[in-house]
Amino acid sequence: MNRAETVTESRRAGQRRLGRALICIIACGLFHGGLAQEKNLLIQNRLAKEELQLAGSPSLYFVIYLETGMIILKSRGLTLQEWKIEKHNSWGDAPPLESVTLQKKSTLFPPRRTRIKPPDNEEEAAAFELDALELKDMPARFTLYLGEGMRIYVRAKADGFFPRLGNIGHFFAWYVWAPMTNLSSELRQKPFAALQIVLSHKEDAQSLYWALPDGIKGLIYPL
Amino acid sequence: MSTRKSLRILLLCVLAAFALLEAAALFVAWPRAARDGGWTVEAGSRKRTPAEIERETAALRRRIRALSPKGVHIIIDSARNTLTLKKGQEALLTAMISCGSGTILEDPSGKRIWVFDTPRGEFQVKSKLVNPTWVKPDWAFIEEGKEIPEKQEERLEDGVLGDYALGFGDGYFIHGTLYTRLLGRSVTHGCIRVGDEDLKAVYRAASIGTRIYIY
Repeated sequence: MNRAETVTESRRAGQRRLGRALICIIACGLFHGGLAQEKNLLIQNRLAKEELQLAGSPSLYFVIYLETGMIILKSRGLTLQEWKIEKHNSWGDAPPLESVTLQKKSTLFPPRRTRIKPPDNEEEAAAFELDALELKDMPARFTLYLGEGMRIYVRAKADGFFPRLGNIGHFFAWYVWAPMTNLSSELRQKPFAALQIVLSHKEDAQSLYWALPDGIKGLIYPL
Repeated sequence: MSTRKSLRILLLCVLAAFALLEAAALFVAWPRAARDGGWTVEAGSRKRTPAEIERETAALRRRIRALSPKGVHIIIDSARNTLTLKKGQEALLTAMISCGSGTILEDPSGKRIWVFDTPRGEFQVKSKLVNPTWVKPDWAFIEEGKEIPEKQEERLEDGVLGDYALGFGDGYFIHGTLYTRLLGRSVTHGCIRVGDEDLKAVYRAASIGTRIYIY
């Protein structure tokens, strides 16, 4: 065998090896893709079962679709209100594949209810002053605590200097406090999942705060 | 070494330790779903074929859709104070209303407390009244600084609830109002106030059992 034939033979062997490697990669990709698709089907199935349970009661419930970027408030499967998610990201565990319950809402300046003071005389009774809790009084930056270590940081997209300044606290909560809490949870072997949701407008965030009373149940469809 | 220099070194050490801790925290907090899939799915489900799972999910979604109303129903947005009368997907009417003020009233004795919120969830029209008479509850007298009457007749007040009222349980009604200038504001004690013409349309379209969704 001369030198030219040896080179050709080694080239062919190299091409065969490359071909086999490519086939392996494609097969692995297809297998992984198939598994991912099956996993997605199982997730959809499990969450549909959970939603059927929620829709069976007269209470309101919410569904967060991370893939399509929507939050929907529902009752009996009927869509009552929708919010478009501008941006979202997460830390820690994936959201649970079961219904979650809103345990509390936390915000720096929570809206306060006014206490009615019964009038002492006729004049006071005649003077009417509207002092109600309305949408404009709701916060646009807040955290929803859903139990089992799951929390959602909600804020509106900041446009302008002051709203951006206002988001500094939220920035620290998301990039410093949440990862530190996750670390502490990891060390104590407790679950932790954090989701940050940014809504397009201040009023969207305020109406979301209004629409989710403590105790409401909901589902989170993962990515 | 001067105290100032020692403090500077101490501060730098603290900052470096914090930076390290933060880096570790960020690394550990990296989303599980993106890193390792992280989802746990019931083991028994794996025995079904993807087509079977898909069929079951579609059936579940059909069952969820079947729960939502097909006929006339009322949707109330208590945040924006709007009422929408719908038939299936079609909106028949949208009206400005007034919902609960969210204020609190305490009995001077301190034994009772009222929170004036409009209840939320799914309800049904339970009663339909023409020219309703308001039976003033205790809180109405307390709020006005008056004595609570002993006789039932002293609680009756005509003309304040408008021409019609639709009861949906626990003393809550969709009714008319004398204070039409306040429609669009949250001012009530939990009931839903509607303007005369809109109330007439809602009264005519709704029947006993019509579903009301309040959020």
